[in-house]
This record gives sequence, structure tokens and C-alpha cells, in this order.
Amino acid sequence: MFYKGWYHFFYQYNPNAAVWGDIVWGHAVSKDLIHWLHLPLAMVADQWYDKNGVWTGSATFLPDGNIVMLYTGSTEEAVQVQNLAYPADPSDPLLIHWVKYPGNPVLVPPPGINKKDFRDPTTAWLTSEGKWRITIGSKINKTGISLVYDTKDFINYEKLDGVLHAVPGTGMWECVDFFPVSKAQENGLDTSVNGPGVKHVVKVSLDDDRHDYYAIGTYHDKNGTWIPDQPGIDVGIGLRYDYGVYYAAKTFYDQNKNRRVLWGWIGESDSEAADMQKGWASVQSIPRTILFDNKTGTHLLQWPVEEIESLRLKINEFNGVRIQTGSVIPLDVGPATQLDVVAEFKIDKEALEKTTGSNETFSCSTSGGAAERGALGPFGLLVLADDSLSEQTPVYFYIAKGSDGNLKTFFCNDQSRSSAASDVNKQIYGSFVPVLKGENLSLRILVDHSIIESFAQGGRTVITSRVYPTKAIYGAARVFLFNNATDASVTATLKIWQMNSAFIRPYPNDEKFLKDLKQM
Amino acid sequence: MKNIISLALLHLALSLTFLPVSHGRGANLIETTCQSTPFYNLCVRTLQSDPRSSSADVSGLAHIGADKLKAKATAALGQITGLLKVAKDPKLKMALRDCVDYYNAIIKYDIPVAIEAVAKGDPKFGVQGANDAANEADACERRFKNQPNSRISASNKAVHDLSAVVASIVQLLL
Repeated sequence: MFYKGWYHFFYQYNPNAAVWGDIVWGHAVSKDLIHWLHLPLAMVADQWYDKNGVWTGSATFLPDGNIVMLYTGSTEEAVQVQNLAYPADPSDPLLIHWVKYPGNPVLVPPPGINKKDFRDPTTAWLTSEGKWRITIGSKINKTGISLVYDTKDFINYEKLDGVLHAVPGTGMWECVDFFPVSKAQENGLDTSVNGPGVKHVVKVSLDDDRHDYYAIGTYHDKNGTWIPDQPGIDVGIGLRYDYGVYYAAKTFYDQNKNRRVLWGWIGESDSEAADMQKGWASVQSIPRTILFDNKTGTHLLQWPVEEIESLRLKINEFNGVRIQTGSVIPLDVGPATQLDVVAEFKIDKEALEKTTGSNETFSCSTSGGAAERGALGPFGLLVLADDSLSEQTPVYFYIAKGSDGNLKTFFCNDQSRSSAASDVNKQIYGSFVPVLKGENLSLRILVDHSIIESFAQGGRTVITSRVYPTKAIYGAARVFLFNNATDASVTATLKIWQMNSAFIRPYPNDEKFLKDLKQM
Repeated sequence: MKNIISLALLHLALSLTFLPVSHGRGANLIETTCQSTPFYNLCVRTLQSDPRSSSADVSGLAHIGADKLKAKATAALGQITGLLKVAKDPKLKMALRDCVDYYNAIIKYDIPVAIEAVAKGDPKFGVQGANDAANEADACERRFKNQPNSRISASNKAVHDLSAVVASIVQLLL
């Protein structure tokens, strides 16, 4: 959230080990979402009602500018309850100290809901009756649901009879997020906004497969329900925020810049033994803005916040580079471990038309990766590659032509040769990406040592990967263009920036420093 | 009198028949639980060897499985450190040292996380921990690809398989 000039980030943290456990609330602040300052732990497990974990929660801004925080506590008997907390000192822009409401918990699992299936309350929004409304994910047998509660004071709640929505077979809904998006305007909307120019998004983190799913639909305020526009791609069975390693994501409305910003947790893809030796595990993605894609009407667009561009250093431009079938072209950009890549690809039109289609269905994860040649793909970039290409992570497009002549474009990340190490994930991630008539294929990639965030078609389809090269590191890392298609040549135009590092400052136990900081 | 006893018996029989699985007890629950694991016999044998299993629910069985896994992994680690003490070949020593790291991760992290995740109600971290334990055992076995060592192999396989069993049991709690 943005409060008194600072962006605040609260996160699930284990102070004792590089694995999940002993969860408390970490806290960091930033002026620009890029350079951060660690602050002391905001909340620890010091009450009976959160003894077994201070879990996920959400902040709501009240009309007077004050904040209330609702969060899930796992009690000393491992029952999941919802608790209220608020800043100890609202005049402190750093919000260092927090107070838990003495009457906690404010919500306990209702009848019919398992005491371990009731967590992650959302930011509240105002109903047309002037009450605050929240939703909390749960499940009944294998049907994922989201319970709805109304409140006037965040202390007393009335549970609505129905649920916001339910989808059979999806299992437990964690970290439910519910927010409006504007159909036509390119800005974010406060969580309480509703009206004709607005659609509502339901997002869930599925416990069963550890992926984040979303669907776009219509919210009915009167009875607190939501209906998806396309039940075929309902929540949990349709679109994902990210087809790689990305979970427990949450948005907030940034009133500072009138945008909705998405945060996601990027876990590790290596072994716990490695994490133990590293002494840390898990990172946050670069924050992304979220917009409704009114060109497709079915997707959201995610894009790295513009502040990331402040890290751009030297630029290298490549215009109209022609990549013949079956070729690899090195791009001389200097060190290639911290990059911002913006690329556009044009594929040979004649080949697109001439190629015979087939009935075969394509999927990134079951394909042979970038080494499997098709008529019209794969082509794209090889990042975190070494000179000999013994290690490489292809980020690429694959165009499949159906027997009806229709083209379907896929966007993939291939980790199969990303590292010589054997104890890392080597799957191929990706999905279909809608490409509309007249659009070129476009790509944005943020490369950061072991993290690759890639965005296709302006953020319609996004893939985040964790890779752990042993050779393609530091000065030995390179980036290449490649085209492994058999029939079509490709022309690429790219801008590649070296990216500076964003230093994160530790918390200084220095009163004067803090005083100066607060006056910034 | 006879009618009342019959009714009581009938009632008892009916309530036993319709007990929801999560409150089921005894051999039946062990068998159904183990059916969803990749190593049924190992699963049944392991769980039945612990007296707590006759009255445990699925969470309890997961905990028992994790405890047994910890014992197996600890024994394997003991074996490895014993071999390390007498090893002369530098390549062998390196492989054994790597295995010490892998097994430390299993014992210090994977298993405690699995137990905690099940107890606190966020079982997916338990699945992750148990799966990682299987991977760590595999990683150790791979270090001996060129130097087959049957004693460690047997332990690695035992730990790998039991980890997979525990992961499947925890998966049932999702």
C-alpha cells in the first residue's frame, strides 16, 4: 500500500530458516517500488490467536485516511481465524509499530467450514448500502469457494448466505483477490469503484497446484455474487497470472499514481539443501501494473512498473536483424546477467501462408522445448547462455497452424538446458498468447541472474522462471537471438539495456537516521 | 430386551458403516490412505509398525510417516558419516560430503517443515518438503553413479520411497 509518501510491503517471513515455518510479518518501505529499506518485523506470533502463524492479510483505507489490517492467524490449536490490527501511530509514515485489536479474533470459521480452510481476507470495498465487504477463500470438499462478510466497523460481521463464487474441483482457494478494472481507461481503480465502465476480477491461488488463476466477470452488489464472463475459463480452470513460478499474488490500488499494482511471490526452483546453504529462499517479482486488455476483452495485461526503467543504464539497439531458419545470432551487449529487453519479431509472411497446417495440438510443457523444430517456430531469445550454449534458457514464440489454416501462437520458457546442475527444475513453462490481426509479436524480458520475468504481447501472457546456471553467470553470461523454425525466417528489432542493481538497505538501529528518513 | 439389543447392534453397525473417512480409525484408514501412495506395501508396513497408527486420522498418519522417515534418514546419515571417516579416495569423500549436505537438509528442514505444515494447516508446504526429501535422496544416489555403493543405495532408495509415500499422504490433506 501507499501511505504518507511511502510504498509499504508486508510479507510472509520465516526469521529462523530458509524454508517455510514460524511465519511472521516482514516489512519494507520504498519511495519508488524499486529501492527498499528493511524495517523491523511488523507483527510476530505473540498472541494465542496467531501463535502458529501470522499469515496473509490485507489493508483497507478508511475514508479518513486511516488503515485497518485484517489478517489470518493460526491459533495455538491451529484453527484459522481472522484478526484485526492497526498502526500504533498513524502519524508515523513508516508504520513501524502495529497494535492488535484486544478483542481478536473478529472472525472464526463459520459452521460447515473446516477450521483449516478459512484464510487470507481481502481488502474491503464499500457496498451500495455503505457497508464494508470482504471475501475469504475456503472450500467445501473439492469445490473452491469464497465466503462473503459485511461489516461497519471491522469488528462485527454478518456473513452473507451465499458465496461470491464457487468452482467445483478446484480445491482450496488461497489468497483470494477481488478488484475492479476499467474497461476503457488506462488507469487503476480504487477497490470500491463500481459502475457500467467496470469489470471485476476474481483471482485465486490454488493450493492444489500452486498456481494463481484469474477470471474477468460481473459483480452483483445486491447479493454479493460474481459471475464470470466466460464460464469455460472460470476461476481456477482458465487463465493464469503467470505460467511459471509465481504464487500468492495480490494487488493494491496505488492512489499515488492511480494504478493497480500486482505483487507476486517467486519461489525457488532448486533444492532445499541448496537453499540451506544459500541461507535464503524466495524473491518478490518486480511489481506489475494490471489493466484490462480491452483489445481481447478476455485477458488482463501485466507490465513491470515504470519505475524499473530508472535502473536502465547503457542501451544497445538492434534493428531489423534477419534470423534465418536454424540459426543463432549473438547479441553484443556486454554483461548479460542484468538486462531489460524489449523486442519485436516479424515472421516471414509467405511462410505463414504456405505452411501446411496440421491437427496436432501444441503445448509448451509437453513439447521438446526450443530444440524441437516446427515449421513456424520456435524463435526468440536465449538468455543466461554461455558462449558454447552448454547452458541456455530460451524465451520464445511458437506458432502452430491448424488444419483449418488458423494460426495459434504460444509463448514458452525452456529450462531444460538452463543449468548443468541436476537438482534444479528443468520444465518448460508457457501458454497460448492471443495475437490480434495486425499485431507484431512483442516481448519484454527482465533478466536478473537467476530470475527471468518475460512478458508477451504487452503482458497478455507472462512467464517467470528461476534458473541456476553454473557457467552462464556474471561475465560469462550472454544473450542470443535464435530461430529454430524450419520454414520461416524471422526479423527482430530489439532494445537491450544493462540494468543497474537496486540496493536494498538493512534496518539501521539509528534513531537519528529514522528521524531524517521520516522527514523525507 | 432382545429387540433393544438388536436395535443397538444395528445402530452401532450403521454408524460404523457411515463414519466419514476423516474420522475413520484403524487398519481400514491405513489401507485406503496407502492406496493413494506410490508404494502401498511400504506405506502399510511403515504405518502399522507404529502403535499410534491404529487411532490416527490422515493428519496423524502423515505425522507418523514423517517420524519414520526421519528415523530412516538419520540412520542413512549415520551410515554416510561412518563411511566418510574411513574413506581415502578424494572423489569418494567429496561424494559422501555432498550426501551429508543432502541428508542434513532432509532431517533439519524437509521433515520438520512437513510436520509443521500439516499441524498448522497449510499442507502444501508439507508436500513440497516431502518431495524435496525424495529429491535429496536421489541427488545423493546420483553422486555414486560411477562408484556403485550398494549399502548407501539401499538407504537412498528407502528414504526416497518413504518420502514419496509421505508426500502422497500429505497431498490428501490439500
